[in-house]
Formats: sequence, C-alpha cells, structure tokens
Amino acid sequence: MRTTPTTRLALHGANLLAIAFFLLPLIAAILGALQSEKSLQASTRTVLPPEWTLDNFRVILSGGTQKGAIFEQVTYLPDNVKKIYFALANSAVIAITVTLATLVFASLSAYTVARLRLRWVAWLTNLTVFARFVPLIVLMIPLYVTFRQFGLLNSIWGVSIAETGFLLPYGILILAPYFAAVPRELEEAARIDGCTRFTAFLRVTLPLSKPALASYGAIVFIIAWNDLLIPLILNNRAEVMTLPVVIASLVGDVHVFHNLMMAICLLALTPSVLLIVLLRRFVVQGLAVGGVKG
Amino acid sequence: MGRLARPAGATAEICDELHSLARKPRTRFSNEPSANLLGVVMNIPTLLTLALVLAYPISYAAYLSFHKVALAELRRGIFPFVAFDNYRRILSDPLFILSLKNTLVFSAVSVTAEIVLAVAIALLIDQRQVWTSRITKFLILIPYAVPPIANGLIWAFMYNFNFGFLNRILFTLGLIHEPINWAGNPSTALLALTVPYIWRTLPFAILLVHAALQGINPELYEAADIDGAGALQRFWHITLPLLTPIIVVILVLRTSFAFAVFEEVLAITQGGPGDATWVAAWYAYKKSFAPPFDIGVGAASAYVLALIVGAIAIAYVKAIYRRIA
Repeated sequence: MRTTPTTRLALHGANLLAIAFFLLPLIAAILGALQSEKSLQASTRTVLPPEWTLDNFRVILSGGTQKGAIFEQVTYLPDNVKKIYFALANSAVIAITVTLATLVFASLSAYTVARLRLRWVAWLTNLTVFARFVPLIVLMIPLYVTFRQFGLLNSIWGVSIAETGFLLPYGILILAPYFAAVPRELEEAARIDGCTRFTAFLRVTLPLSKPALASYGAIVFIIAWNDLLIPLILNNRAEVMTLPVVIASLVGDVHVFHNLMMAICLLALTPSVLLIVLLRRFVVQGLAVGGVKG
Repeated sequence: MGRLARPAGATAEICDELHSLARKPRTRFSNEPSANLLGVVMNIPTLLTLALVLAYPISYAAYLSFHKVALAELRRGIFPFVAFDNYRRILSDPLFILSLKNTLVFSAVSVTAEIVLAVAIALLIDQRQVWTSRITKFLILIPYAVPPIANGLIWAFMYNFNFGFLNRILFTLGLIHEPINWAGNPSTALLALTVPYIWRTLPFAILLVHAALQGINPELYEAADIDGAGALQRFWHITLPLLTPIIVVILVLRTSFAFAVFEEVLAITQGGPGDATWVAAWYAYKKSFAPPFDIGVGAASAYVLALIVGAIAIAYVKAIYRRIA
C-alpha cells in the first residue's frame, strides 16, 4: 500500500494513542507503587511523586517485619499480606501442577480426537466447544457444596483439580488440529519400524508438536496463575490462598492504601507478563487457533 | 486376505516379497489394542476430570437450584425440595432483574467497543512500514497476562476520586479544575467498568482479527488498486466482508465471557454505588457466598445466566450457519 506523509503521520498518531491506552494502567501501577502513602495523599494533582521509595515492596516482601517510611501514618498490614510467601508458593504450585496435568491429559485426548476415527470421540470435541460457554460461577457453586461435604475446601489440590478440569477443553481444542496436521505417514513409518500406535504418538507426533504444547502450556499457566474465582470460593485460609485471592481480600480494607495495593498488584502481574513476553510467538499462535479465553 | 494380483512382468518372487511386506505390519498391529480400546484408555484422565468438575457440577447445580440450601441446611447436610421456589424468588427480585439488565448493557457496550477497536488496531499493527506499529504490536499481548483482579485494583486506583491517576493527569494537563468521580457516579459507573474490561480482553480480539487479516489474499487489494479504489472502499468492500466470519466468532465468545464478568466488579465497585453495577455473576456470588449464604437461590440465578449465555451462543451459531449456507 502506498502511504502519503499525511497518512503516515495519522498512523503514527493512532499508534501513539493505542500505546498510551495499553501502557496507562501499567504506568499508574508503577508510579503508585513507587511512592509512600504520605506523598500520594500530600499532592493529589500531580502525576509524578515528590519522592520515590521502594518501601512498599520492602514491607510486603519482608512480611511486615521491615517497616519503612510508609508506616509513619499506618502501622497495619493485613495477615494475608504478611503471609505473601505462602501465596506466591501456592500460586506457583497450583499453576505448575495445572499446566503439567492439563498438558498430559489434553495431549492424550487430543490424539484420540485427531487420529482415531471414533464416533464417540467426536462427541468429546462437541463437549469441549460447549464447555467454553458455561459461566464459571455456575460450576463453582455446586463445586463449593461438594468440596465442603468431602472436606476438600482449603486445599491447593482441590483448586488444582478444579482448574485442570476447567482448562482441559481449551487444550484439546488447541492440540487436536496440530496433531492432525502432523503427517500420518510419519507415524505409520514408525509403526512399521516396530512402534505401537501409542509409542509412535509418544516418539513421533508429540515431539513434532512442541510449538503447540508450548503455546497451550503458556496459556494455561497464565490463566491458572491469574484465576481468582476458583481459589476465592474454595480456599479462605491465609496458608492456602493464592496471590489473586490475597489481592481480592484487600478490596474494601480501608487501612490498605493504593501504594501498597499497586505494589502487590505488580508482584502478581510480573511473572505472567514476563512469561507472555518470552513466549509471545507461541501464545499468539495458540490464541489464534483455539480462540481460548479472554 | 486374498492374493495380490500379479502386476505384468513381475516375477513370482517379487510378488511373494510384496505380499509378506503387506502382511507383516498387520500381524504386528494385531497385538495392539483396538482403536476403540486405545481411545477409551487415553481419554480416562480427561473424562474423569471433566465428569468431576464439569458434568457433575452442572447437573448438581440444577439439583441445588430446586432445593433450599442455606447455612443451616449446609450444616445438617439435608436440602429440602422447594420446586421452583428459588426461581420464583429471583424472578420477582428487582435486584436480579436489574443485574440482568446491567449485564446486558455491560456486554453490549464492551463487546461492540472491543470489535471496533480490535479491527482498527489489527489494521494498524498490519502497517509494517510505520515503525510505531511495531511497538503497538509488542504491547497488545501484555494485558492478556495481567491478573483480572490486579487489573481491577489498578483501575480502581486510576478512577479514585481523591487520589486517582486519571484525575492527576487531567489536572496536570489543565483540563479539569475539580476531580471527577469516575466510578462513584451511579449514571456512569457501569460504563467506567467496561473500560478496564475492554483493556484486559482486547488482546484476544485483536489477535483473532489480525490472524484473519493475514489470510486475505493480497491480490484482491492489488486488483482494487488497479480499479482505483480508495482506502475506505478497500476496507468496506474487501476487508470487512472477509473479516465477518471471525467477527461473528469474537462476538459469540466475547459476549458469553462478558456475561460472566466478575473480577472488575469486585475490585472497582463491589456492585455500587448503590446497586448501579450489580451484574449477574456478582448476584450469584453474593447470594451464595455472603450472608445468608443462600446457595439454592445463587444456583438458580447462575442457571438463568447459563441458559441466557447458551441461548445467545445457539442463536449466534445458527446465524453463522445461515450465512455460510
């Protein structure tokens, strides 16, 4: 397409608007996290803080034992935030468990969808399409009642199982088309060389599908790391909370000011944002194929 | 298995060799489990998990919605049957009707805005000769990774009446002289909620549109150029019609997710001011998990939400098929 200098300028302008829109909340969070409660309250009409400080992070990451200047006015840190390392560990364990479990389960199922021409397996594909339309809250109310009756509340394994089930359908949707695109002849050659159907899948199709596995794995990790509703409803003790639940518990707490909140929000979003920047290419492909979840 | 037909000119030995080659894999494969058995075994983990956290909860939610399940019943473990009582209660509850209405407005506004923005930004990042496009392209994915609850709290800080970041920017630019109460005004609160939601879910829509754009044959544009079509005509007569299928897909998916919006409501308004931002998922959550923990009513309201989403999905899918046929 030919572009005149005027259209070029207009396009730059449009890009700047888009860039500003995407960066604005992140800049706000960073500026909010790098100043004290005092300076946030002192000057309410300026963008840049009068003084910069890392005290918010210091207080949170020390579990409230190191009190910086921000505690001149307030001497209170919620218990949930004091146990931030529990939350970080729980979030990590749940996200990794769910990623591994869904990768294994979804690969096995996606192979049967892609390779075994079975009528009842086609039903599985329909189920995965249907599952995407069920609002999570519909599943969480009965799951809460069931988990409560079986004593599975307040367990990171209960949360992991629920997340795995919730994210599995997306995996089948992403992986099955990729497996189907691996030439069938490669598997057949392996079988002539002595592989069974299953080992041919393990040794030929699966290694060739690394990009699809990476994209699905990254997407699942991010969704599991970020998810609020499942652990919010199933877990309410500080030791088993995930990071999003800790963040949600600060809502409406009048003693926790924006500077601390922004710092903890940045701590929560950094791992998943880093992951998406590193695995950008794979995530883009996975989202384009599976049309996962937004 | 019958003898192979002997091709003209082939010796008997070659034919025998071919024959044994053709037979060999078959005898080997006969030791393997049948496709059906393999399919069952390989799907056991998935089927068990989906039965536990999908099929069973959906049916159990239906059961709960016809029973009285509150704190006392949960403790005793006995849920008395109340027929359609829970449904009658929510349908005669003005707050539930308001929640549905708010959900509808929220979804309509956010999905419409998202589709317009997604098409615009996807076209924008496609302009590779404009170097700022590459920055935009790099950034579009990031909101997807931000935890929804963190996104909500960040926007709560942006919107804050006294200390908020948006007011600070407008003060600095000299555009306002009194702070604006973005999310605290009942008439604008719901609209204020759509912006963070759009911010977080836009990457998904942009990526789908962008992928569809790559699939458009460039020759179509060359032909249009030769015919002297302007940029607007090219967009209207080539790009938009070819994007329609993916736009319908985005419409279906985004609407069904927007109907279940929850985190931003929790973080920014908690349903307020007053009840201006009560949405369906918030209603189901508050009824079930806040005093008096009326889980039966919550399940009924969640079921109504699911049925509406299901109906929308079916209507959309039918519309797509009619378009194709």
